[in-house]
Amino acid sequence: MGANSAAFAQSLQTWIGAGPLWLWALVSAAAVIFLLALPFGGLATYAERKISADFQDRIGPNRVGPWGLFQIFADLVKMLAKEDFIPKGADRFLFNLAPALVVIGACGAFAVLPLGRQLIGADVNIGILYLFAITTVIAPGLLLGSWGSQNKWSLLGGMRAAAQIVSYEIPVALSILPVVLISGTLQVGLIVDQQGWSWASSAAGTPHFWNLFHNPFCFLSAFLLFVGGLAETNRIPFDLPEAESELVSGFNTEFSGIRFGLYALGEFCDVFVMSAMVTALYLGGWQIPFITLEQFLFPIPSGLIALIQFTVFLLKTLFLVFVVMWLRWTLPRLRVDQLMGLCWKGLVPLALFCVFGTAVWMWVFGGRSIAQLIAGFGG
Amino acid sequence: MREYVEMATGLHGYLTVGAILLTLGIVGVLSRKNTIGILLGVELMLNAAAINFVAFSKYRAAAIDGQVAALFIILIAAAEAAVALAIILRFYRLKQTVDSDEANLLRN
Amino acid sequence: MSAGLKLVLLGAQALTVVSAILVAFHPNILYASVSLLATFAGVAVLFVYAGADFLAGVQVVVYVGGVTILILFAVMLTQWLYEMRLRDVGVKLLMPCILGVLFFSSLFKVLGGLAAWVLARPPEGLEKFAALPKTEPIGEALLGAYLLPFEAVTVLLLGALVGAVWLARPK
Repeated sequence: MGANSAAFAQSLQTWIGAGPLWLWALVSAAAVIFLLALPFGGLATYAERKISADFQDRIGPNRVGPWGLFQIFADLVKMLAKEDFIPKGADRFLFNLAPALVVIGACGAFAVLPLGRQLIGADVNIGILYLFAITTVIAPGLLLGSWGSQNKWSLLGGMRAAAQIVSYEIPVALSILPVVLISGTLQVGLIVDQQGWSWASSAAGTPHFWNLFHNPFCFLSAFLLFVGGLAETNRIPFDLPEAESELVSGFNTEFSGIRFGLYALGEFCDVFVMSAMVTALYLGGWQIPFITLEQFLFPIPSGLIALIQFTVFLLKTLFLVFVVMWLRWTLPRLRVDQLMGLCWKGLVPLALFCVFGTAVWMWVFGGRSIAQLIAGFGG
Repeated sequence: MREYVEMATGLHGYLTVGAILLTLGIVGVLSRKNTIGILLGVELMLNAAAINFVAFSKYRAAAIDGQVAALFIILIAAAEAAVALAIILRFYRLKQTVDSDEANLLRN
Repeated sequence: MSAGLKLVLLGAQALTVVSAILVAFHPNILYASVSLLATFAGVAVLFVYAGADFLAGVQVVVYVGGVTILILFAVMLTQWLYEMRLRDVGVKLLMPCILGVLFFSSLFKVLGGLAAWVLARPPEGLEKFAALPKTEPIGEALLGAYLLPFEAVTVLLLGALVGAVWLARPK
């Protein structure tokens, strides 16, 4: 349907017009990591502190630079300048490997995020499966880091973290399935495309074409995906592995300086990836209500289209990240048995029910959404 | 030299890697005392078989059957690893060790 | 295939082989498990090159994210944290190694002949097959020609799930 979403590298090559493709592939990979993932990680630490301050009726960092923005750089310099401390008896190899695995898992997922129709790093056919697979690499990272610390409490935190991540992968995978059922593809670019104007026979890319409102089972599974994503990234109310008041700092007790910075970066990037996943699958990714940019009143240059689509995607994702941070200061922490009970006795049956319900809906109504049914009702 | 690279990136390469993994799996199973180490060897062998299936699926059949077989291998290997590790944990509770030499309760 | 792609494939093969050697021979069982993780990752890359993209995703999800965690949990629950009593040197290493060398050389010869035979008769549609995404054909095969094995595997997984939980239950 229409032009397929082009890879980021190909778009760069088209816009700038020169250079071999492999060079633009490297540039696009570097751009996504160094201009999106890493700055987001840094800004997220600042935003978290400011937002939590706002929720707690205080001010937050405001001394270093305008509105305390340079706090990020101050923290970075502090982390880099700290002594590279490995506890005596700790396993040096595992200590170095663990943060690397976490960052690989979190940043590797950026390759398939649909930043814009022409801006997907690699629109592979197994897009969603790749995203899911690369974020599972984080779990061994946490586990190995906790063992490498040679610390009973770290080990306890790490084992809880690994058990939590592995358990909550199931509701996450099951919540992705309704979208795959509706779209008939694992390709992220196509999934987002199908949530907009181009796929409807009339009306615009308004919210009622998002997968969120396709059928009631999808609505429920979007929330299940969000909750599962919260648990995958060890955010409150699921942050028992890092429980500040219980296990000192859980699995990252012994990590200091830049190693801890890498863990925090990995966690924030994972939050971004999970929010981006919910945005792309359920909230229509880069689709803007009432507008399809390719067929607007007057022709818009494709670079500007890409920029607008990227901004829309970013706004939707950042809203979800804000909700994640909001929940941190709203909900109490779940105990480990409550956490596991919620997953296995609550989310998994609900997610299975949603998959089954979506399948039945697709069969009964021939794949039409609620909006399409209502639209076709009168005629 | 060029033809070696051609072979290594073609069917020969896949089969050689599969054969190496299979041999190392067998050596691991035979030489390790730790039962978890034996399980590691078994996982290597299963991966080798999967590589072989996928390689022949591409070069001989140009059909999907080899990949379906490899998919089944992955599924069954996961189930088998879960059960094997449960057995190992049970054994550890009994003997406080995972040394395979200690698994001699049925002897004599 | 361009030179860069070939280089990546050779690198992945080297990673797989070196990690497998560590898995088989490293005395520290935890390092052996971590090497197994690297082996799984290398095998996933090999799957991608063989045109099995869906299978590569499943390999990472099931093996790297699942079996590795299982094995690491088992290692951490059965070894002592502080007195890393992880030495597992196979004193009887000589016989398995000789056996392995013999086995590998005969396997190599057989497979070499087989590979030459297969390559001499390329199947039709090789290029088209290698370029297709494989998710849909696998799905159709699982629910079509391979429906019985598929259902049998689901029963097997259920049995393994129940059995593992029962075996590992607390006293």
